[in-house]
Amino acid sequence: MKKTWLKWSVYAAVGLIAAGCASYPDRATTQQLAEKMVFDAFSASPEHMKRLVQDRSQQICSKIGDEKLTQAEAAEVVKLARASIKYPASGKLVGDWKTGDKLAHNGAGDRIRNGKVENRKENGALCQNCHALAPGEINVGNVGPSLTGYGKQRGNSEAIAKYTYEKIYNAWVYFPCSNMPRLGATGHLTPEQITHMVAFMIDPQSPINK
Amino acid sequence: MEKMHSVCLAFSAAAFLAVAPPVMAQGNDLSVGRKMLVEDNPGELWIDQGKDLFYQKRGPKNVSLEQCDFGMGPGKLEGAAARLPRYFADTDRVEDLESRLLTCMTSLQGFERNALIKQAIGRPRTKGSDMEALALFVTSKSNGMKVNVTLSHQKEYDAYKAGEYIFYRRSGQTDFGCVQCHGEPDKRIRLQDLLHMTNKAGAQEVASTWPAYRGAHYIVRTMQWRLNDCVWQMRLPDLKYGTDYSIALTTFLNHRGNDAVMNVPGFKR
Repeated sequence: MKKTWLKWSVYAAVGLIAAGCASYPDRATTQQLAEKMVFDAFSASPEHMKRLVQDRSQQICSKIGDEKLTQAEAAEVVKLARASIKYPASGKLVGDWKTGDKLAHNGAGDRIRNGKVENRKENGALCQNCHALAPGEINVGNVGPSLTGYGKQRGNSEAIAKYTYEKIYNAWVYFPCSNMPRLGATGHLTPEQITHMVAFMIDPQSPINK
Repeated sequence: MEKMHSVCLAFSAAAFLAVAPPVMAQGNDLSVGRKMLVEDNPGELWIDQGKDLFYQKRGPKNVSLEQCDFGMGPGKLEGAAARLPRYFADTDRVEDLESRLLTCMTSLQGFERNALIKQAIGRPRTKGSDMEALALFVTSKSNGMKVNVTLSHQKEYDAYKAGEYIFYRRSGQTDFGCVQCHGEPDKRIRLQDLLHMTNKAGAQEVASTWPAYRGAHYIVRTMQWRLNDCVWQMRLPDLKYGTDYSIALTTFLNHRGNDAVMNVPGFKR
C-alpha cells in the first residue's frame, strides 16, 4: 500500500515537472530556432538566399517588442551607415526631377516569383508606397512622414542636397533603425538614381514643391 | 443561378470601389465600401465547394477527410480551426490549418505532398485550389466561436517565440520585417490599410478572418497566400508552402488574437 502511494507520487512529480518544463524558450534558443526556420522556409538559388542573411545593422535593428536600441548600438548603426555612403562618379548630387518623379511612383523591381527576378530596366524608388508627395495626390501611403513641400520648406542649397542624398542613400545615418529602407546602401537604388530623387525632393519645379 | 448572382454582386461592388471618389480623411472611410462588401461576401460559395471536397472519397486511397484529426479528435471540426496552430503528436510538430490539411491529404488520402503544394495557391479568376476551399470549409466550422490558441507543449511555446522573432526580423534590400508595416495604427501602403498587428485588435482581425475572399483576385485566399505575398513585396525569395516559418508567424499572431470571434470568409480588397 505504502509502496503504491510512493509510486504514484513519483509519477505525479515526474508528470508535473514535464508539464512545468514547457515554457517560453530564452532569447538565444529562440534565435537559434527562428534562424533555422528562416533558412528552411524559402526555395531559392544560393544567390537569392543571400537576401535572408542579415548584415550587422539589420541584426541590431531587429529589436523585439519593446526592446530599446542602446546608445552604443545606435552609434554603431550610424557609423556603419556613414561608411556605406557612396557618391555618384560625377560628383553631382542633384539630377533630373522628372526622372525622379517617375521613380517615386514606381514600386516595382527585384521581386522574386517562382525563382525569377522580375524583368525591369531599373528598380523603382518606392516613395509613393509610404510618403505623401505632391499636394492633393491621393494614392499615397502614410507609413513615412509627408514629403509635400519638402524643398519649399528647406530650400535647395548644397547642404540640403547633400543631406537629402545621404538620407535616401542610407536613412540610418540620421535615424538609426528607422523604418525607411537604406535604398542606396542595400543596392536597391543606384547613386545615379538617387540624384534624381534629390532633384524631385528639392527642385522648385518639382510637383511636391508646388 | 445563385452563384451568378453573387458573382455579379462582387463585380458591381468591385466596380463601386474602383469609381467611388477616394476619401482622404484619416479614419476608416475607405473601410465603408469594404463593410458593404462583407455583407454579400462571394467567398461563401467556396464553403460548399470545400464541403464537397471534404466528404468526397478522393486520392489514391479513395477515402474522404472525415478521419482527419484537426486537434479535437478525428472528424471533429466544430471549433477546431479556432485552436490552430497547435501541436500534433502524430507528426511531432506544431501545425496550422493548411499544414494539417497537407498531413491528412497525404497520410489518409495518399496524395503526393509536392503535387498538393504545387496546386495549393490557386490562380486568380479561377475556382481556386482544393486547399483554399477545404481550408475555408474547415474554418467555417468555427464561425461564431472564439479564437483560442493555447500554448502548452514546448513546441507551441517555441513556435510562438520564433514567430515573434520573425515578425521583427529585418533583412533584404528593403530592410523590412513585418513590423515595419504592421507595427503602428492607421497606416497605409498607398490607399491600402495596414493592420496594426502588435495591437490586440489587429491580431484578432488576423486570427479570425482568414481564409478570406480577395476581391482583386475573385477567389478565396488563405493565410499562407497572405504571407507569400508579403515576403514577395519585401523582396525575399519564394516562401515554401507549410513551413515552420509560416506556422510560427501564425502561432504568434493567432495566440495574440485570442478571444476574437471567428468570422470567415473574411473580405479583403
